[in-house]
Amino acid sequence: MGSRRAFLAGLAALAAPLPSWADAGNPRWLACAREADGGHALFGLDTAGADTFRLPLPARGHAGAAHPSRPEAVVFARRPGAWALVLDCGSGARLRQLTPPEGMQFNGHGAFTEDGTRLYTVEQRASDSQGFLGLWDSDYRRIGQIETGGIGPHEVLRLPGDVFAVANGGIATDPTDRTKLNLPTMAPSLVYIEGDRLAEQITLPADLHSNSIRHLAHAEGRLAFALQWEGDPARTVPLLGLHRRGAAPVLAMAPGPEQAMMQGYAGSVAISGAEVAITSPRGGRMHRFSLEGAFLGATTRADVCGLAPCESGFLTTDGGGGILRVEGGIARPLGLRPRAWDNHVVTL
Amino acid sequence: MRLAPAVLALTLVAAPALAGVDAVLDDHVLPGTAAFAQATQALDDQAIDFCQPQDLAPLWNSAMDAWVRIGHLRLGPGEQAALTIAFWPDARSAGRRTLARMIAAQDPMGVHGDDFPQVSAAARGLYALETLLYDPDFNGYEPDSYSCTLVSVMAHDLATQAAALDAAWREKFAPELRTAGQPGNATFLSMAEAERALFTALHGGVEFDADQRLGQPMGTEDRPRPQRAENWRSGRSLRNLTLSLESLHAMATALAGHPVDAVDSAFDAAAYFSLAITDPAFQDISDPQGRLHLESLQGRVRTIGEVLISEIGTSMGIAPGFNALDGD
Repeated sequence: MGSRRAFLAGLAALAAPLPSWADAGNPRWLACAREADGGHALFGLDTAGADTFRLPLPARGHAGAAHPSRPEAVVFARRPGAWALVLDCGSGARLRQLTPPEGMQFNGHGAFTEDGTRLYTVEQRASDSQGFLGLWDSDYRRIGQIETGGIGPHEVLRLPGDVFAVANGGIATDPTDRTKLNLPTMAPSLVYIEGDRLAEQITLPADLHSNSIRHLAHAEGRLAFALQWEGDPARTVPLLGLHRRGAAPVLAMAPGPEQAMMQGYAGSVAISGAEVAITSPRGGRMHRFSLEGAFLGATTRADVCGLAPCESGFLTTDGGGGILRVEGGIARPLGLRPRAWDNHVVTL
Repeated sequence: MRLAPAVLALTLVAAPALAGVDAVLDDHVLPGTAAFAQATQALDDQAIDFCQPQDLAPLWNSAMDAWVRIGHLRLGPGEQAALTIAFWPDARSAGRRTLARMIAAQDPMGVHGDDFPQVSAAARGLYALETLLYDPDFNGYEPDSYSCTLVSVMAHDLATQAAALDAAWREKFAPELRTAGQPGNATFLSMAEAERALFTALHGGVEFDADQRLGQPMGTEDRPRPQRAENWRSGRSLRNLTLSLESLHAMATALAGHPVDAVDSAFDAAAYFSLAITDPAFQDISDPQGRLHLESLQGRVRTIGEVLISEIGTSMGIAPGFNALDGD
């Protein structure tokens, strides 16, 4: 019966230690990139920015989710995503290919629960761009879905206590490509999901309804969200928001001309210590703010987008292949690789 | 010892990039920013004592000439400086509206040099000066009037910005470009990155000429926008385009390290087509013949951009921004 099988499995578990991130060279970060030959791959990076592993991908990735204990990464295709790959970063094996249910599309991001027994994938219904979190069990079987209460969700972030924050970008897109269908009426929102319940919803003032909420970062009860402006390009608007549960969001921006240089576009956001940063690949710069939203300074770097906290500052990656550490606004190169780093850096 | 020349040759081949970056800086950028600082200083000096249009127009034109020759250098210190030195295009006439409001209210910010840098970018720099010197709604002011002081303060602010731009290029950004790839240089991690940054400015300058200098007045076929032409009140629209293309041509040659036949031909063709333009302010855009000439010229300018990519950009491994274009 089943008991014998369980007994044998137990023996096997005793004989071989469970795989861990040590088997993948103890990366601190994961990032996708396009390589010099035009192919794509997922890389593990250590704290000094050196590669710990390289796994080829079938196409361009966007972001990923790292399992909290097992050396497993889920890499999501770019929007509109038809696949996500579960990779064993230790052995390099492709463990699973996830496909969204009929009529649904992955939207580039996902997150595990704290104990790693559930994976949440950001999805939209192809027909009307309505947002959902897809739920998968620890064997990556589909077990359900939760509405995100908005259109065109992009990033999901796990907060302490398995609360999930979702950035509903607000943009409805064509089922087959990224053509934007509803810019005049778009209504982005930031939501907190507890269990299967939409616990809190934040929206922007009416005159900023064209500011798509897309990316998220969190530290010590403070959520930072990065925005992408879809309105009149001549208007200079905030691209960073800060929020605490139950309070009104605070929008932050640099002084006029410097803010204009961001070109209405923030691609990633991260919090490190007493600073929060956003990157703009279009503006070729990173902006740093205090946690209260005061502008601290700009650091320029062409096509910079990937952003993660590191000890005493931020790690950035860019389309030119650069990996830099930025401490107090001062950038220091960690390396230049023959590859174009993709939009995001995932922190383990 | 007979090996020595061969070794030297190999070294040079291994570092061909350096010549391009240095040549662009030494022959194009730094003389250009110095000339702009000088021209605006001359305008400032004159505006201390004389503020009326007839006193300042020639010097403003010299400053404008000098700016157009470097206006495409929107990298490093030029990136932000361009916003407050050259606020154009200004589709909503923010400059005129702000100036009208300031003058009507006799806004103290407009006549105090220390406060002036805080006024809206649209009311600063070369284009705001054009409004005061050439726009009949603004240029009838008397000596010792509010507008007279405003012009002096504006000219001084411009000269201050130009001097800062020149200094920032010389002291900080040019050295960063020259030391690309050296340890500690976090702006350019390789010489190829420095070349790419300069090429992007070069190509962006050509696009600006096609899309803005020509595209703005062209508007759409149903709705031409002659009053959106750059500097139409001072009649400089064509002159700006011509000077800009001459300057971009020189920069392309410096960056390539030698004249490139296809590049020369593309610039020559645009110069030839510009001879057909009869109205130097592009105000004949509503006339079918005038439109045809501008459209033809715009086509030639776009061709320059394509030729630059194929002849110079490709050899530098130029690719459009990977993330900038992703939009997610």
